[in-house]
Amino acid sequence: MGPLITFYALALLAIVSAAITAFSRNIVHSAFALFGALAGVAGIYVLLGADFLFIIQIFIYIGGILVVTIFAVMLTQGIADVNVSNRAVGVLPALVTAGVAGGVMFYAIIHSSWYHARPGSATPTTYWIGDAFLGPYVLPFEVASLVLLAALIGAIVISRQEVRE
Amino acid sequence: MTPLNLTTIDFSWLAILPLIALSVGAIVVMLAGTRVDDEDSAALGFIVLVALLAAFLLTMFELGQNTAAFRGSLAVDDYAVFFEVIIIIATALTVAMSLEYAADAGLAGAEYYALVAFAALGMLLMAAAGDLIIIFLGLETMSIAVYALAGFIRRDAKSNEAAIKYFLLGAFSTGFLLYGIALLYGATGSVRLTAIHASIAARTAVNPLLLLGLGMLLIGFGFKVAAVPFHMWTPDAYEGAPTPITAFMAVAVKLAAFAGFLRIFFTSLDPLATEWSPVLWALAVLSMTAGNVIALVQSNIKRMLAYSAIAHAGYALVGMAAANGREAGGAVLYYLLAYAFTSLGAFGVVVALDRGAESHAQIDDYRGLARDHPGLAAAMAVCLLSLTGVPPLAGFVAKFYVFAAALNAGFTGLVIIAVLNSVVSAYYYVGVIVAMYMREGGVAVESMSRRPGLLISIAVGVAGVIALGIYPQPYMGAAVNAFASALGRPALHAVSMLP
Repeated sequence: MGPLITFYALALLAIVSAAITAFSRNIVHSAFALFGALAGVAGIYVLLGADFLFIIQIFIYIGGILVVTIFAVMLTQGIADVNVSNRAVGVLPALVTAGVAGGVMFYAIIHSSWYHARPGSATPTTYWIGDAFLGPYVLPFEVASLVLLAALIGAIVISRQEVRE
Repeated sequence: MTPLNLTTIDFSWLAILPLIALSVGAIVVMLAGTRVDDEDSAALGFIVLVALLAAFLLTMFELGQNTAAFRGSLAVDDYAVFFEVIIIIATALTVAMSLEYAADAGLAGAEYYALVAFAALGMLLMAAAGDLIIIFLGLETMSIAVYALAGFIRRDAKSNEAAIKYFLLGAFSTGFLLYGIALLYGATGSVRLTAIHASIAARTAVNPLLLLGLGMLLIGFGFKVAAVPFHMWTPDAYEGAPTPITAFMAVAVKLAAFAGFLRIFFTSLDPLATEWSPVLWALAVLSMTAGNVIALVQSNIKRMLAYSAIAHAGYALVGMAAANGREAGGAVLYYLLAYAFTSLGAFGVVVALDRGAESHAQIDDYRGLARDHPGLAAAMAVCLLSLTGVPPLAGFVAKFYVFAAALNAGFTGLVIIAVLNSVVSAYYYVGVIVAMYMREGGVAVESMSRRPGLLISIAVGVAGVIALGIYPQPYMGAAVNAFASALGRPALHAVSMLP
């Protein structure tokens, strides 16, 4: 019973925070609400016994990306004045689309036979993740660095000042 | 703790040497770029061409292997080689037509050529992918590089618009693809294509989760191959991107997406063919019809060719929808091969009229081209006739094979719609030919003798169109053989398919 209550509490935290992020008119509020969404997901990782993912979620998403996002929001002059946060447009078509998509997903999730991983006590996963990265999944692991290199070069191209002669 | 067992890696130089050649080439270009001015960037292009040649030769060693490496992460089969060879040729021609273009337009050469090499690397990964993670990583490597390339002309608002639209919609579609991959993993417990196939084939009842994942994958790939209704980004991205990159997007990107698309759907999800075949039927009809009808009213040749590319994705989907295994699969592969050469030749001519700063991409600009540049006009005419499907050019044979395969599978209605669409498409393709040969007053085109790279790429494209059209048997044989290797079945002779 305990884990179930914890799960719903964490899920509620994540969903409500995500809704605030999406619907808030103020981008500063959106940025801060993102913290709850990311932390809620991190909590769910703990419930699943995924200790490594939990730490990474905290380090990378909350400690890194979220902090940089908040810095960017705060350092951008007058960002609170120009309601740049998402203005809702096309509410009705969006509701229909989201409703249909959500309904289909809900149906599929309820009626599916899920693949169940072997249940077991929560043990440290870091060793096995490292083993998988350097064993069966060594190629995806290495290729990911090439994706990042391409992204870095692309970001430089896009953000560089055009030199005018 | 046990020490790391290196034998579990299943390491294979053979499978990754072409990839290593390209990534080394890209890094060398970046390093050398610090010493090379943007006006002399053609030298950097030659480095990429050398890397591509090395990758091509190394790929040849994979022929006839039909194994897997890295515990199934990479497939080393003729199917991968077939697509890798076309992708390498398409990339080489893109680089060749960029040699003068990038230098004249003052584009940042090092980043330009490095990103082209990285995009090609991602495409090779998609062609050889044996699991969904590699497909995703290959797709991302390719897409991220091409997003940046589409917006490479920084001063041009249209180029910026192209990059933004392509990036936002592309990232959105990648989300769908990733969600589909996650759901497939949830339903089958594996990301390896062979294991997914085994898991689905072992089931009796259809799992709704699986169908949802299948739908998400369809949306993701539909975006990448620019099938209607997922095509909205195509005309704007094609119009605004630097023209050689437009050719790259229309040919290499589309082929790589089809390589992953076909492999997943024919080797992993084929037990669900009765579910996905009708969806592809609808996508094929929509793509062909919308692409051809909207192309009729375009006045910009890049937009026209964009809608034409959408329509041709539809023709390829006709073969996929037929879904009767080797025959249809081989026909689709041959179709993509023919489309690659035809499209590269046509875009080469568009590059010839385009001079970076002032883009002469209106169809009106092509008036009277035959008088001043009979060679260019003839090349364009050959490619456009091949796109229409006029014998004896590559496009005709390709359409013949695809339509024959679909007819054999009992898709008579679909083939009738496809043939009607081909007739409609003749109108806008021939319109350009009429402008070139029978009208007066286009733009003056810079002499081709000053642009050998572009000249060679157009010549290779046109030569491919004619060779594939006049003597299709060996290439069709290779396509059927390649497809059979992906299915893990012995090669067979393509005799039954010959006209």
